[in-house]
Amino acid sequence: MTVATDRWIPSACSACYGTCSIRGHVVDGVLVKIEGNPDSAIGRGRLCGKGVSGIMTLYDPNRVNAPLRRTNPVKGIGVDPGWKEISWDEALDEIVERLRKVHAEDPRRLFLQRTTTNTSGRAPFFVFAAAFGTPNVWAAGGGLHCGNGAHLISGLYHASWSLVPDFKYCRYAIYFGASKGHGAGHVSCTNMQDAADARARDMRLVVVDPMCNFASAKASEWVPIRPGTDAAMALAMLDVIVNELGIWDAEYLAAKTNAPYLIGPDGCYVRDPASGKPLVWDLGRSRAVPYDDPEAKDLALEGDRDVGGIACRPAFACLRRHLRQFTPDWAESITTVSAATIRRIATEFATEARVGSTIVLDGKRLPYRPAAAIFFRGAQGHKNSVYNCYAIELLNQVVGAADVVGGALGFSPVSYGHPDTGHPWYEPTAGPDGLMVTGSWVARHLPYPISEPKVPTTMSLSELFPLGMFGPSMASRDQEDLWRRFDLPYRPEVMINYGANSLMSVGNSATVAETLERIPFIVSFDLTLTEFSEFADIVLPDTSYLESVDSRPDFPFIFNHPAGLGNWSWPIKQPVVAAGGQRRPSAEVLFEIAYRLGIGDGLNAAMNAHLKLQGEQRLDFDRTYTHADVCDRELKSLFGPERGLDWFKEHGVLSWPKRVEEVYWRAFLDVRVPVYWEFMVPLGEKAGAIARAHGLHWDDAYYEPMPRWMPCPSHDLRDASYDFYGFYFRDTLHTNSFTNENPWLDEAARMDAFSYTIAVNATTAKAKGLADGQLVWLESPAGRRVRGRLHLTEAIHPEGLGVGGCAGHWASTLPVARGKGVFFNELLEVDFDHSSPVNQNLDTCVKLRIVP
Amino acid sequence: MSVIAHDRLLTDLGATFRPQREWAEGPGLYLIAGHFLTGIGAGTWLFALLFDVVPGLVVAIAAVALGGLAHLKFLGRPARFWRMVRARHSWIARGFIGMNVFVAGAVLAALPRIAPGMPWTADGAAGRFFLAVSLVGMAILMVYKGNVYAASRGVPFWNSPVLPVLYIAYALRGGVAVLLVLFPFVATRASADFVALIELWTAVSAAVMVAFYLAVIRGAHVAARRSVAELVRGRLAPPFFLGTVGAGLVVPIVVGLAGLIYPLSLTILALVGALSLVGDFFAKLTIAKAGFYVPVVPAGMSTWYGSASWWRR
Amino acid sequence: MRYGMVIDLKRCVGCYGCQLSCKAEHATPPGVFYARVVKRESGTFPNTRLVFLPLLCFHCANPPCVDACPTGASHVRTGGVVDVDHDVCVGCRACMQACPYGARYYNRDPRPYFGDQGPTPYETARGSGGKRGVVMKCNFCLDRVQAGLDPACVANCPAHARTFGDLDDPDSEVARLIRLRGGTQLEAGLGTDPSVYYLPP
Ligand SMILES: Nc1nc2c(c(=O)[nH]1)N[C@H]1C(S)=C(S)[C@@H](COP(=O)(O)OP(=O)(O)OC[C@H]3O[C@@H](n4cnc5c(=O)[nH]c(N)nc54)[C@H](O)[C@@H]3O)O[C@H]1N2
Ligand SMILES: Nc1nc2c(c(=O)[nH]1)N[C@H]1C(S)=C(S)[C@@H](COP(=O)(O)OP(=O)(O)OC[C@H]3O[C@@H](n4cnc5c(=O)[nH]c(N)nc54)[C@H](O)[C@@H]3O)O[C@H]1N2
Ligand code: SF4
Ligand code: SF4
Ligand code: SF4
Ligand code: SF4
Ligand code: SF4
Ligand SMILES: [Mo]
Repeated sequence: MTVATDRWIPSACSACYGTCSIRGHVVDGVLVKIEGNPDSAIGRGRLCGKGVSGIMTLYDPNRVNAPLRRTNPVKGIGVDPGWKEISWDEALDEIVERLRKVHAEDPRRLFLQRTTTNTSGRAPFFVFAAAFGTPNVWAAGGGLHCGNGAHLISGLYHASWSLVPDFKYCRYAIYFGASKGHGAGHVSCTNMQDAADARARDMRLVVVDPMCNFASAKASEWVPIRPGTDAAMALAMLDVIVNELGIWDAEYLAAKTNAPYLIGPDGCYVRDPASGKPLVWDLGRSRAVPYDDPEAKDLALEGDRDVGGIACRPAFACLRRHLRQFTPDWAESITTVSAATIRRIATEFATEARVGSTIVLDGKRLPYRPAAAIFFRGAQGHKNSVYNCYAIELLNQVVGAADVVGGALGFSPVSYGHPDTGHPWYEPTAGPDGLMVTGSWVARHLPYPISEPKVPTTMSLSELFPLGMFGPSMASRDQEDLWRRFDLPYRPEVMINYGANSLMSVGNSATVAETLERIPFIVSFDLTLTEFSEFADIVLPDTSYLESVDSRPDFPFIFNHPAGLGNWSWPIKQPVVAAGGQRRPSAEVLFEIAYRLGIGDGLNAAMNAHLKLQGEQRLDFDRTYTHADVCDRELKSLFGPERGLDWFKEHGVLSWPKRVEEVYWRAFLDVRVPVYWEFMVPLGEKAGAIARAHGLHWDDAYYEPMPRWMPCPSHDLRDASYDFYGFYFRDTLHTNSFTNENPWLDEAARMDAFSYTIAVNATTAKAKGLADGQLVWLESPAGRRVRGRLHLTEAIHPEGLGVGGCAGHWASTLPVARGKGVFFNELLEVDFDHSSPVNQNLDTCVKLRIVP
Repeated sequence: MSVIAHDRLLTDLGATFRPQREWAEGPGLYLIAGHFLTGIGAGTWLFALLFDVVPGLVVAIAAVALGGLAHLKFLGRPARFWRMVRARHSWIARGFIGMNVFVAGAVLAALPRIAPGMPWTADGAAGRFFLAVSLVGMAILMVYKGNVYAASRGVPFWNSPVLPVLYIAYALRGGVAVLLVLFPFVATRASADFVALIELWTAVSAAVMVAFYLAVIRGAHVAARRSVAELVRGRLAPPFFLGTVGAGLVVPIVVGLAGLIYPLSLTILALVGALSLVGDFFAKLTIAKAGFYVPVVPAGMSTWYGSASWWRR
Repeated sequence: MRYGMVIDLKRCVGCYGCQLSCKAEHATPPGVFYARVVKRESGTFPNTRLVFLPLLCFHCANPPCVDACPTGASHVRTGGVVDVDHDVCVGCRACMQACPYGARYYNRDPRPYFGDQGPTPYETARGSGGKRGVVMKCNFCLDRVQAGLDPACVANCPAHARTFGDLDDPDSEVARLIRLRGGTQLEAGLGTDPSVYYLPP
C-alpha cells in the first residue's frame, strides 16, 4: 500500500498578469485545489474566479506535450500545418542552426514576441534578446492596447507602471476607462479587496465609461461617455477647477512639479545662461533663479515676468490660459456628458481633495488629498492616447493628489528593501531639468529622460517615437511600406514567440497573418496550439505556470505589487505538479539555446545586470547555468545566502512591512514632474523632421506641450450609416484570449449575459428593430465584419457597442474556446493612421454598423 | 448531460425567468405521460364502475399501471423507487402510495367482475372492501397530482390551490372520454346521450376551471404572469390553443352542444373522446412547460436600485 | 445553533470567485453550481445599475424542498443545514420544483468537462461527476465548517463580501451585520425563512 502524499505547495497564479500568490493542494501528485496564499500581500489568500480555475488549464487534454514541426510549408489562416512530433534534440538543433545563421548575419533579424499574461516570460526573454543583440522584442497586443499611454504617463508622474486610488484613505475617485479593483487591471484581485473596503467606508467612486460594467456597477455614479473623448472631459474639468473655482495646490505645484518653471514665447523654458537650468520666479527676492536654488522660497505660479528681456510666465500660468478654451459646454458636444455634470464632478473632485490639509501617519505629518483620478485601457487605448492620459493625470497634479495620503498612488515606486538586506532598493531621482526619473521600470527605455528621436532601425520604429514602447509596424498592414521608407536594413528572419496569440490580440487577423507569412521561420512556445501556432514552423511544449519556477513572479513591484500601506511580499513560483508529457520550461530552453549558440557570456552578463545580482551571486561569464540556478542566485542576492530557492520553495513568500516613506514618498523625495511638457515641442520638431524627410504624414498637433483633445479616426468618419462606436472591455471571467479554453470559465461565461455577446443600448436597438439574442454582423468602414449575438441592455451608451474580452477563437485545437464570443479585434485596422504618432498606441475604438 | 441540454441550462440560468424543463422535456415527458395516464385511469375507474363498463375497469387499471411505469422510467434512480414511501408529508409519496393501493385494490375488485369463480365476489364483504380500497386509491390518484404541482413553491404558476381542483376535473373528464372511446367496441347499459351530456358537463367545467385558473394565477406572481403570457402568446401558444383549448375543450363543447339538438353517433362521440384525451395530454404538458421558477432578485430591489436617491450617494 | 451566511452586495464585485471556488472545492460536474452569480440590471439609461447577485442554497428554516422530497433524501442536518443524501435520492426532482431559489441541480448524465476527451486527472482524483440521476446542491461546506474552516466560497471571496456564522448567536458577526446593515432575505414573503441574508448595495 502506498501512503497518500498530501501537500500544500505555495506558488503564484498566472491566469492573468496579476500573479496572485497561491497554494496548490496536491494529493498523490494530482492538483486537487488551488487556494490563495494568506501569507502573501499579493491576493492575501483570496483568488478571483480565474485563479481557482487554473486546474482546468493545467490538465487541459489539448495541451501540447511534445515538440512539433510543421510538414505543410503553406501558411495561412485555417491551413493545417500538418504537425509532426519531433524530439527535443531535433527541434533545438534546427532552431540553433537557424539562429546561428541569423546571429552571424544580423542579430536584429530575430524577432521576439511574448505574452503579457504570464509575467515569468519577461526576464528570460529580455536577457535572451540582449544577449542575442536584437532590439526587436514586443508584447504583441499588450504593447499596442494597454501599455503605451497609460504606462508612459504613470511612469512620468508616479514612477510606476500604473495607478490606483489610495483605497485606504481616498474619499473621491474618478475612473476613466479602468476597472481596477473590480474586474481587471494590475493587482486585480488584491485591489478587489481594497476597493471593497473603500466602498464599505463610503469612498465615492465616479466611473466615466461608455458602458456600465464592472467598476461602474459598483460606482456611486456612472458617467456614460462617448468612446475616445476622455481628454475633452478631463480638460473641461481642469478648466472648471483652475479657472472657475480657482482651486489648486500651490505648495505642491511649486515644489513637486515644473509649474513654476518660466516659459518663454517659444514655449520653452527660460534657462539660466550659466547653468542651463530652467528658471523660476522667486517672489521673495523678485527675481528669476534656477529651479533648484536652495534659497528660493516662494516660487511664482502666476504673473507675466520679464527675464533679461524675455517675456515669460510660469508654466502653470500657461496651463491655466490654455485650459480656458476647454469649457464644459465645448466638452459636452464631444463627450455627450452634460456640462452640468462635468462642472459638478469637477467641483466635487476639487473640493474633496481638501487642498492644504494634512494627516499624521506614523508620527509624520503628510499632505492629505483624498481624491484621485485614475485611467487605464479604456481611456488610453486610442490614437489620442497620450493627451487623454496626460489630461486626466493633470487632475491629480493640480490638486496635489499624487502619491500622498488619499490620492492617486503608483504601484510601489519606492522600495527600501527587506530590513535584513536592504534589497530590493530603488527610488525615483531627479533627472535633467529636475524632472523625475523612475527608480524601477519594466520596459527597455525609461519614460524620462526622453531620448533623441532617430532614424529608426528597429522593426517597430521605436527610435522615432521615444515616448512609446511598441509600435504597430511589428504586425501592421503598412509594415513593409514603413520599413522601406526608413530603409530598414533587414527583415525579420526568425521569430520566437512565447505564448502570445497575436493573431487575435493585435487587430484584424488578415493583417497579422500577412505579416507572419513573411517571416521564414517561426518558433512558438505554447501551452496549447492557438491561432498563432498555425503560423509556426516549430512548436515547443512549454510548462504552464503550475509546472514552472520563477524567482520574481511579482517583480518589478511597480507592476504587480499592491499600492498603499500594508506588507511587502516577495513570493516565488514553483511547480506544484511535475511537468506532463515532454514539456520543458521555456526559460530553461531559452538558456540552453543561448549556451548552444555560444552567447552564454552575453546571457550571463545580461542576467547579472537585469536581475542586479550581487557579490558572489553574480554569474561567471564562462559557465552555464540553469534558469533554476539563476532564480536561486537572485533570491540569495536579494535576501541573503540562507534564503535561496530551497527556502522559498518551503516558505513560498517573504514578507515585511511597508514604510510610510515608501508609500507616500512624494513628500520625502525632491523630484518634480511635468505639468507642462516642455520637451514635446523640440521632440515633435526633431521626430517630425525625420518623418517628413521619409515621406511620412506628420501632424504636429500631437506634439504640443499641453494636452488637448484630438479626434480618433472613428470620430472623423463622415459616413453616417456607421452609427455606433465599437469598443471592448475586459470580462472578469476571462483573461484576454487565454482562458476561453478553460471549461469552468467558459461555462460560467455562457451563463453571463455579457461575456460572449455584443452589448447594445436597448432603446437604440429597439428603434432599429433589433432583438435581444439576435445574430448580427458588425461591419467596419473598412469592410471588415464579425458575427455575434446582441444583448440588449440599458447599461451602455446609446452610441456604443461593447464586446467582452478577446474571444471568438476559431482554432480546432481549442475545442472549448472555439466559436465562443465575439472576435472584436477583427474590426480594427492596424496601421500608422490608426495609431498615435506620439507613442504608437493603436486605436481600439471603431465606427460600426449593425447588419442583421 | 448532452451538450445541447448543458447549453440550454446555462442560458436558462442566466435568464431572468428560468423555464422549468425537468418535468416536461426529454425524459420529463415520461412524467407527463405518467400524470396523464394515472389521471385518466382514475377517472375511467370511477365512470366504468358507475356505468358498469367492465372493459373500462381493465383499461383503468392498465392506464394506472402504465402510468406507474412511466413514472419509474422518469426517475433518475428508478431502482430506489420503493424509498418513495419514506416521507409521507410529500405529495409524491402520497401519490406513490395511492397508486399502489389503487392497483392492488382495483385488481382485486375487478377480478370477480371479469372472471367469475374467484374465491370472493364483487358484492361480498371482501369485494366491497377491495372496492373501497380501490376507491381510496382512486381518490388519492385524482388529488395528488395537482398537489404535487401545487406544492412546487419554486414555480409560482403551479403554486395555487386551484391547480388540484383543475386536475381533478381533468381526471373526471378523462374518465368519461375513455368511456366514449370504448363505447363503439363494448356493450353497455349506459345511454350514449347521457354520457354525451356528462361529457359536455365535464368539458365545460374543465374549460371554466382552466379559464379561472389562468385568470387567478396571473395575479399571483410575476413569474406566473410570465407563464400565462407564454401560454397565450409565447412559445407555447400553438400547443396550448390547438391542443389544450381547441382539441381538448372547444371541439368537445361544440360537439356536445350540437348533441343537445342532433343525436350523435357513437363514432362521433368516440372521436370527441379521443380529441378530449389529446387535449388532456396537452393540458398537462403545456401547464408543465409553462412553469417558470421564481426569478431571484433581491426583495425590495426596486428600493435598493430603482430610486434616484441611490444614485447620488 | 443555526448556521447562516451574510452576503454584502455592496462589497461584491461579481468576480465569480464563489461560483468557481465552490466548483473547485466540490468538483461538481458541468451544469451543477452549488454557488453561482447572476447579473441583473435595473433602471433605464442612464440611471442604470448592474446588480451582481451571488446565489447558493439558503438552508431555509422552513425548507419546501424537504417537504416535497418523497424519500427523505433531502434532510436537515446540524445547524439547519439542508443536505441531500445521494444514496437515497431517486431523482424525482420534486425538490427542484419546490425550491424558490434555483439552488438545486439535477445531475442528469455527468460528462467530464472536456467531454469525449475524457476526465482530467483532477476529475478522476476527485471522483467528480458525482452520482448520476440525483439532485445536488450546496451543503454549506459542512465538512469544512465542522473542521473549523469557513465554507470555501467565504474563505475565498476577494471582496470579503461573504460572512459565515451562527445566526442564533446575537454576538456573531453574521447577526451583527444583519442588525447593523439591515440584512434581508430574498423573497422573504414566501415564508421559507432563508439562512442567507443580503446586505444592501
Ligand atoms: N479584443 C481584445 N483584444 C485585446 C485585449 C482585450 O481585452 N480584448 N487585450 C489587449 C491587451 S491589453 C493585451 S495585454 C493583449 C494580450 O494578448 P496576448 O499576449 O496574446 O495574451 P492572451 O490573449 O492572454 O493569451 C495568452 C497566451 O499565452 C499563452 N500562455 C499562457 N501562459 C503561458 C505560459 O506559461 N507559457 C506559454 N508558452 N504560453 C502561455 C496562452 O496559451 C495564450 O495563448 O491583448 C490585447 N488585445
Ligand atoms: N479579468 C481580467 N483581468 C485582466 C485582464 C483580462 O483580460 N481579464 N487583462 C489584464 C491586462 S493585459 C490589462 S492591460 C488590464 C486592463 O485593465 P482595464 O484597463 O481595466 O481593462 P478594460 O476592461 O479593457 O478597460 C476598462 C474600461 O474601459 C472602458 N472603455 C472602453 N473604451 C473607453 C473609452 O474610450 N473611454 C473610457 N473612459 N472608457 C472606455 C471599458 O468599457 C472598460 O470598462 O487588465 C488585466 N487584468
Ligand atoms: S487576479 Fe489574475 S493572478 Fe490573481 S487570481 Fe485572478 S487570474 Fe490569478
Ligand atoms: S466571490 Fe465574493 S465578490 Fe466575487 S462574486 Fe462571489 S460574493 Fe461577489
Ligand atoms: S434554498 Fe432551496 S434547496 Fe435550499 S433549503 Fe431553501 S428551498 Fe431548499
Ligand atoms: S430528487 Fe431526490 S432529493 Fe429531490 S425530492 Fe426527489 S428524492 Fe428528494
Ligand atoms: S457554502 Fe460551500 S457548498 Fe455552499 S456555495 Fe459555498 S462553497 Fe459551495
Ligand atoms: Mo494588457
